[in-house]
Amino acid sequence: MLTIDGKEVDFKEGATVLDVAKNNGIYIPTLCAHSGLLPFGACRLCLIKIENMRGFPPACTTPAAKGMKITTNDPELNNLRKNVLELILSEHPHSCIICDQKELCEKYNLSPTKAGRVTGCTFCPNRDHCELKKVAEYLGIKEINLPFTYKNLPLEREDPFFDRDYNLCILCGRCVRVCQEIRGIGAISFINRGHDTKIGTAFGKSHLDGGCQFCGACVDACPTGALSARGSKWHGVPDKVTTTTCALCSVGCSLKLETKWDKIMAVRPDAEGPANQGQACVRGRFSIPALVNGANRLKYPLVRRNNRLVPVTWDEAAELAAVKLGKYLPGETAFLASPFLTNEAAYLLQKFARVCLCTNNIDTASFFSGPVIESQIKCSGMGAGAGTIEDIAKSGWIIIIGDDLLASHPVLTVKVNQARKQGAAVSLIGSERDINSRLVDICVSVEPSGYFPLISGILKIIVEKGGFDKNFVKGQCNDFDKLKSSLKNIDIRTIEESCGISQDLIEKLTSTILSSGRGSILYGPKILECDDPRQIIGLLFNILLLAGSPAGLVPLSDGANSQGVADMGALPNFLPGYQDIGDKNSLSVFENIWSADLPKKPGLNYPAILNAVVEGSIKALYVTGGGIPREISLKRLDFLVAHDIYPSPLFETADIVFPAAAFTEEDGTITSLERRVQPLCAGANPTGMSMPDWKIICKIAEKMNVKGFEFSNASEVFDEICRVNPLISGHGIWDLKLKDEFTLIPVEKTARPKKSILYEKPLWRYRGVDLTEKVSDLKIMMNIEHRTSNIER
Amino acid sequence: MKKKIEQAIKPFGKERGNLIPILQAVQEKCRYLSEDAISKIADKLKISEHEIYGVATFYTQFRFTKPGDHMIKVCLGTACHVRGGAQILDRAEKTLNILPGETTLDSAFSLERVACIGCCALAPVMVVDDKIYPQVNSSDVGKIIAKHRSRHKKE
Repeated sequence: MLTIDGKEVDFKEGATVLDVAKNNGIYIPTLCAHSGLLPFGACRLCLIKIENMRGFPPACTTPAAKGMKITTNDPELNNLRKNVLELILSEHPHSCIICDQKELCEKYNLSPTKAGRVTGCTFCPNRDHCELKKVAEYLGIKEINLPFTYKNLPLEREDPFFDRDYNLCILCGRCVRVCQEIRGIGAISFINRGHDTKIGTAFGKSHLDGGCQFCGACVDACPTGALSARGSKWHGVPDKVTTTTCALCSVGCSLKLETKWDKIMAVRPDAEGPANQGQACVRGRFSIPALVNGANRLKYPLVRRNNRLVPVTWDEAAELAAVKLGKYLPGETAFLASPFLTNEAAYLLQKFARVCLCTNNIDTASFFSGPVIESQIKCSGMGAGAGTIEDIAKSGWIIIIGDDLLASHPVLTVKVNQARKQGAAVSLIGSERDINSRLVDICVSVEPSGYFPLISGILKIIVEKGGFDKNFVKGQCNDFDKLKSSLKNIDIRTIEESCGISQDLIEKLTSTILSSGRGSILYGPKILECDDPRQIIGLLFNILLLAGSPAGLVPLSDGANSQGVADMGALPNFLPGYQDIGDKNSLSVFENIWSADLPKKPGLNYPAILNAVVEGSIKALYVTGGGIPREISLKRLDFLVAHDIYPSPLFETADIVFPAAAFTEEDGTITSLERRVQPLCAGANPTGMSMPDWKIICKIAEKMNVKGFEFSNASEVFDEICRVNPLISGHGIWDLKLKDEFTLIPVEKTARPKKSILYEKPLWRYRGVDLTEKVSDLKIMMNIEHRTSNIER
Repeated sequence: MKKKIEQAIKPFGKERGNLIPILQAVQEKCRYLSEDAISKIADKLKISEHEIYGVATFYTQFRFTKPGDHMIKVCLGTACHVRGGAQILDRAEKTLNILPGETTLDSAFSLERVACIGCCALAPVMVVDDKIYPQVNSSDVGKIIAKHRSRHKKE
């Protein structure tokens, strides 16, 4: 109990006075405090009075204690704060803050010129988010009685994505702290001291050279206009703001799309996002407007005539697709579901394939998905990992294997970082370049061919040292003896010879697992370069089981909705909800619901479809955005339908191209890697005549006169999904009912010949579109990464 | 140089708290903190190089450019100031053609301005390496520097 402004309130141990005030609805002005950051005490605006305490302690750094009597506001404090703010404003252009016309001005926030330098008034890029202004209004500052000093620092505009004008900086340190504490990068710091203090980098390097990841966390944290996104600082107040989910990777960050003139102009992360809590990455934060507003977005359906693609009406294109597709035998058609499709589109695509064309030749167009789904079904009975993103943050140990996490799923590094702060040991198996080596404790630099020996070595040490969770293994795991005997032939010493990892390092890595309880293993597409990726996944699951929990295996999928597309049944051998196509009961359930005869034989999977295309046994192919590697020849294909958002390499052969809406232009749902079903909400209308994928499919089905595709909006499709897919009942994490018993798989070195790797580099793609091609700043950033990674450290 | 950096870093543990002692040790061994040195320390302590640079720039004791072989310090403390220290510094700047805190192109000399070296009775003073020159007047400055330059060349 303590008293704050005469009110007796309870508080939690460890809370600061500022927290207590906030929880009780008392406003104390602050500029340096920020959610998620440790107290800093830089701005001195939160000064308060506490009885029997000398001076004016800052609320943000003073821990609440029993019996405190706190005054948060009286004329003396207000005066003090006013003076503090005046001092801050004496070095910050402030004509906009004390202008008596500012209310009229705020309505439009016009920018009369695109001058880079901010001299106050309407030139500032941060006018609608300015926290200085809010605090000045609260304190009632009408004029500044101090001489104004303009620091006259040079503008820093040479780095991609955001501009820096440190003449507006008030040195609150939010950007420095968010970069160090939350992102774990530390690309900026306070340089020098006293009057000369500024935010900068070591030796004045550019941000590009300094290792900045351009996640934009600093821009979002900045209370002034010192940091501003270059691409979106001049359009003033947006017409509307829409909260949606990012469909560029599988983390599932919530984003706020800012729309003006029916175009997405800016994107900010949503502080309430369950997966990202206000964080984003270079793709989500900065790249979306350029990606979806490209001048050459497809606007009309295209049909091949005289060996040229010509624009036609929707009816014509859909009619043609319906007629042509209907001509082929079920075995001659195949469908590739892009892992970037919405759940609704994926569900309708597989329904279309099964009901209209009577084929099971449908699979997710990702080489990673297949092994992942298959192994997960084997491990936990369903095609999904049991871990959640929150579990990662709470892990006792983390292993990252075969993925460049910092580039592929940057927001997950925030969680990894969080766990590490609470004492989790983070190990990286892969190339040293994969992740900033400062973000991990143990770095095992090994080629994918070394994954198998390394993991079996780890298993051997765990089993032999006996440090595993005996109760769990005894109670819920089968075949422990089989695993044990299969490990007999493995010699730790030979691992050192074969892949150059020292025994010490393996033991060190293993000891982090043995000592710290529940953990997480994040694995990425590089395991595809192993001899047998399925076995690698199984063995990783073994490690988790031995550590005492079946949860925590997280696939770092290359598509944003790989999980959802599989959940929706875009798989050759499973119906929605992982219901086996061979199972007569589930098949007849779906036959009843869809009132159609369904094909009983499992279809071809993705690699098999590609092979069949090359060989010519598949004659008609339906592609929904990327998924055809360059090496695959489409010459023998008879008929190719594609959904695309931009002109793609498929244009050379495609017979019909449907212009699809980008994810910012459609409603629907997608499912993140933690099985969280989240809504997509359109921020703008589809470009030109383009349509959401699900609508395109419905249109073709309608032309084929097939019933069951009469939907007027995406939520109707989602309602049907909820009816037929027992896993999905609405938004949120769907419930994975784990088995009671798990089977440990024995270690077997398979002699499968190594296949050439076809997979497209998963980095930074959206539906087959290379983001670096569309976002020029991203290209600059990529080139630098490439450059630095080639330099020997 | 790389070896020197490694030698200086080696005896310390990986705790964050060792940062300043390490910086001091590296500076003692290498005479300044190079980009290389800071990135080595960053790797060892797992602190970003920018954070380390931020810490190091907070303290005036650390330098980030290679100092000259000889350090010339001109005192501008109260006593020296009263007796014309500013003219001495001015002459030194002109003779060497550098400003305080800089190093000559041939990296023979660095110039620094200090505030009192504790021998006010000898004001104004100028210090080259460890040798103190008392009661310098501005015409002496050129001679002192020339003397050290010729000695530097012989070495």
